Amino acid sequence: MKSSLTLRVTLAFMLIVALSVAGVGMFLYRAFVAEIERRDDLQLLGKLRQVQIVLGRPGAAELLAAQPDFFRDTMSGQEGSLVRITAAGGAVLADINPAGERTPAPPGQGAIASWRARGGIPGRIVGGGARLGNTPVTVVVARVYGERTAMFARYRARILAACVVGGLAAAVLAALMLRRGLRPLRAVAAHAAMVKPGTLAQRLDIAGAPSELHPLIDAFNAMQQRLQDGYARLSRFSADLAHEFRTPVTNMIGQSQVALGQGRSREEYEALLASNIEELERLARMIESMLFLARAGQDEVLLARQPIEARDELERVADFFEGMAEERGLRLQCSGAAHLAADPGLVRRALANLVSNAVRHADPGGSIALHAESRAGAVALSVTNPGAPIPREHLDHLFDRFYRVDSARSDAEGSTGLGLSIVSAIMNLHGGKAMVESHGAQTRFTLVFPTG
Amino acid sequence: MTILVIEDEPKTGDYLQRGLAESGFAVRLARNGRDGLAIVREEEIELVVLDVMLPRMDGWQVLEALRADPDTEQLPVLFLTARDEVEDRVRGLELGADDYLVKPFAFVELVARIRTLLRRGPVREEELIRIADLEIDVLRRRVRRGAATIPLTAQEFALLHLLARRQGQVLSRALIASQVWDMNFDSDTNVIDAAVRRLRRKIDDPFNPKLIHTRRGMGYVCEAPA
Repeated sequence: MKSSLTLRVTLAFMLIVALSVAGVGMFLYRAFVAEIERRDDLQLLGKLRQVQIVLGRPGAAELLAAQPDFFRDTMSGQEGSLVRITAAGGAVLADINPAGERTPAPPGQGAIASWRARGGIPGRIVGGGARLGNTPVTVVVARVYGERTAMFARYRARILAACVVGGLAAAVLAALMLRRGLRPLRAVAAHAAMVKPGTLAQRLDIAGAPSELHPLIDAFNAMQQRLQDGYARLSRFSADLAHEFRTPVTNMIGQSQVALGQGRSREEYEALLASNIEELERLARMIESMLFLARAGQDEVLLARQPIEARDELERVADFFEGMAEERGLRLQCSGAAHLAADPGLVRRALANLVSNAVRHADPGGSIALHAESRAGAVALSVTNPGAPIPREHLDHLFDRFYRVDSARSDAEGSTGLGLSIVSAIMNLHGGKAMVESHGAQTRFTLVFPTG
Repeated sequence: MTILVIEDEPKTGDYLQRGLAESGFAVRLARNGRDGLAIVREEEIELVVLDVMLPRMDGWQVLEALRADPDTEQLPVLFLTARDEVEDRVRGLELGADDYLVKPFAFVELVARIRTLLRRGPVREEELIRIADLEIDVLRRRVRRGAATIPLTAQEFALLHLLARRQGQVLSRALIASQVWDMNFDSDTNVIDAAVRRLRRKIDDPFNPKLIHTRRGMGYVCEAPA
């Protein structure tokens, strides 16, 4: 559940909406509060002004002395209002304070300040001078904003509630939308769950899917294509294998049964056994080659990399094939030099397979060239033989298992049809590759080993 | 020279017993590990050919039992395996086997390995090998037949030296490729045949008796006619 996309996106949505609502709410709240405070302050200043005007009127002093209650009634009016008038000497001339609040300390002339009443209720206070008749007095006007504070608190609570409700609503909507939005993903999953060897040809429909899923669907379809190809190759390989086995097995059964059909001379029996051994050795070679390919395909072949002098290996392989080449009127020539780090046994095997091929297909009387050279970031070993070029359509398949250019000539010469596949596998193990080019009157196989 | 073959597969066991006996070894055959161990304890056995896949007590357990007993600690063991996995080979050698062969193997190869194991210890290289009127001076790398000196290339000499050193033994093509050219994989059989033909042209064709013989289906052997 921790890694659920729906959960994560839902939570993110919830958070975003809650924060947005909170942000907007806070902004409006602050503007609202500032506006209210500004108005209240204006009102307070107005009140001060009103008191100053009343005090400045003729007979105000007498009225204040004679009828303080009347004066108070005129001055008060709003709940939580305080007015105090003090003489220059400090004597309190009037103090309108119905709630019995702490006497606020007067701020400077004309200045407006915050003030806290009993119980910490916030208020505002302003002071100013006035004339009562001819005597200067100080007027202090204050107000306690208990109701206003409570209203602000209610307002904040509503914003909080809006955040919570908005967030929850966003979460529910996001979850619902994701459920809908992820439907194509579930379709992909359902399709993937259906894939089995027989259904590899089916592809996901990209047209009906949202564009964001196209890379996934493309990748998925490409993967299925590769699987299908690989599967087809394996199936073909098994079929080819059975076919390749069939010939020697048929030969052995047939010739053994013919031989046993009637009495034979000892020589004939010996020849039969020897012939059977030849077929069996071919089978054994095929089995060994297939195991090698299977293991190389699974990267289970351990490379024993060593520094190698390429020329030495060329010479060794040339030497190995010298007798066979000589019998066909061929010469083997080595040239070039290069160092590389590779598995000597496998390099030898790859070269031997190439040279064996070259000797078999070269025009008699020609010369097979084994060449080593360092290129940028690579070492190339090549085997070139003169001979009729291999038709272009075959070149791409030469390294396929059991691929033969001349299908009729299913090798009387003991080749297993796996030699070039093994070359290719050996090169893959080394991170390099085997290439072939054939034009004019020569064919060249090149092994490219990356260096460094 | 008694060899114990521990092999449960009936055909394999039978042909190994027969083939090794005909190659000049005394052979005891056990069809399972327990019988094999009993024979090792009771009789003078000089080498064990051990199949890894045995019923009940497998080859590894037999090998462990052999190595655990001071009497048989040093007994040469060659194991046969059908599963050519690296771990298998490593395991066998770690447990103290002396050599191994992967099925399918050539019978002559098995005989060659057994001879090598029984020879154990430093092999004294002969400096001069004589077969009939063929004379090989190993140090000077000189070959003569009768009065004629025969010039050989380095590889021809290496091939002749191998055949002569193991005179009387049939050498498989794979063994020849491995020993002479260090090609340790089953390669084109024609290659070895061509190399041997070349050697014969110099060593045998102008002379009598012929010394290098083809054993069809097995390989080559160098020996003077009886």
